[in-house]
Amino acid sequence: MEIRKACSRRLRGCAFASFAYLATTALSVWLLKGPMTDAPTSLRAMVSLLPLIPIGFAIREVLHLVRASDELQRRIDLEALAVAALVVGLACLSLGFLVSAQVFEIKGSSVLIWMFPALSVTYVLARVRAQRHYR
Amino acid sequence: MRELRSQRQWSQAELAERLDVSRQTVNAIETGKYDPSLPLAFAIARLFGQPIEGIFDPDA
Repeated sequence: MEIRKACSRRLRGCAFASFAYLATTALSVWLLKGPMTDAPTSLRAMVSLLPLIPIGFAIREVLHLVRASDELQRRIDLEALAVAALVVGLACLSLGFLVSAQVFEIKGSSVLIWMFPALSVTYVLARVRAQRHYR
Repeated sequence: MRELRSQRQWSQAELAERLDVSRQTVNAIETGKYDPSLPLAFAIARLFGQPIEGIFDPDA
């Protein structure tokens, strides 16, 4: 029961961090495109990095979650992370080849911003698949 | 392991709690989908009062 309690607590923390990330991202984008358009660069840099606060909290929760997990859960996490890293990495590589071949254009900032959400979604999907394998 | 658990009339959740692992881990070991690490295998053997080789078959 201890392991389940610890994992539930950490998962709640991760969910909170995700909502906080979305909120700070929305706030940061709104501020940078609206009231802070002409603000000094240092201030704009600070505001643009606001989402890093919940991300830091999420990293802490994930670390505690992994430490509270048992060996099978860790293996499932490892498999899911490996799949997510490979899928997103190869997708980025393919995108890079396509952009180099001038098939289409894509903004570098868009790719960087979507990297983390893509990694998270792929990780969740890969984890569901890995979990089914061991069921 | 399932036989030993059934003999004691423990549920998978009960055994998982005693071993401090998730129920999924107990299920995966019982269905042969996952081989436990040596420390977990020792913990299982200790809990059932059996030698490791009496519970797990390396050739299975």
